[in-house]
Amino acid sequence: MMLLPCPWCGPRNVTEFAYRGENIARPDPNTADKATWRDYLYYRSNRAGWEREGWFHRAGCRQFFSIERNRTTNETRGVGTPDGAGDAAHSGDSR
Amino acid sequence: MSEPDKKPLARSPIAPALPVRVVDGWEVSAARSAAPLTLTDVTPLAKVSVKASARGPAETTIGVRFGRARRIDAGDLVVGSGPGEWLVIGGIGSAPAMTEHWRATTAGAGELVTVLDLTHGRAMLRLTGAHAADALSTICAIDLRDSVTPDGTAFRSSMAALVTDVVRDDVGGVRSYLLHCERSSGQYLFDAVLQAGAAFGVEVCGLTT
Repeated sequence: MMLLPCPWCGPRNVTEFAYRGENIARPDPNTADKATWRDYLYYRSNRAGWEREGWFHRAGCRQFFSIERNRTTNETRGVGTPDGAGDAAHSGDSR
Repeated sequence: MSEPDKKPLARSPIAPALPVRVVDGWEVSAARSAAPLTLTDVTPLAKVSVKASARGPAETTIGVRFGRARRIDAGDLVVGSGPGEWLVIGGIGSAPAMTEHWRATTAGAGELVTVLDLTHGRAMLRLTGAHAADALSTICAIDLRDSVTPDGTAFRSSMAALVTDVVRDDVGGVRSYLLHCERSSGQYLFDAVLQAGAAFGVEVCGLTT
């Protein structure tokens, strides 16, 4: 069983969460070209190792947050605070 | 107030154990049990949702933080069920008055607060007995020991794979949990808790007012 540390509820079974994917900054629609939008919509790094991801605690506090997860070992670190302080992607689009 | 000769206006999604009676328009079970572990369908209790921003000014006004439950002067139970989210539980038929009360109370909070009567849209159970935590531990991954979840604790988690609000609300010093879920899942949760409590001698008990 994998535990994910929710900033509001504490460690919970990962089955309580919905995965939103790695955090990607949304391009400026006024200046982004087609290639930039394509990359934003469809391309992911999928690298082995640490990645910052967005998660939604659907069976708990129903809050979005981001966290760093090692995709090889499933270790976690750097969970965003409940208020989003120090977590620029906390309220952003993580697609 | 019991009205045995009247037809019910409302029914719980959970089939009542016979015999049944009508209380304030609700059809409820009149079964009684003295078992050490009892499960009661308390769906007729008034349930009012209050929503605002997480850690916003309304939290100060309401006075109950996320993860805690507290009884207020009127006897209603105010549950901090989520960040900026509260569930207020009151007596049967009191939802309109509760809704008005919380609208008025939060009107001066300085932010948008939504107050909504959920009574007929949700199901609620009460599991009472010394072995209540042992029974729930078989269908819920949360640590239910006193040191982690004492009386007055509230949390939302997966119970028998169903999203459920759990409130530790001891009755007369006896361990007791309120379980709150969507109405359409009420019978499923009731059956799951009955099955979980079978090893501890759980029996169904009707709602007492």
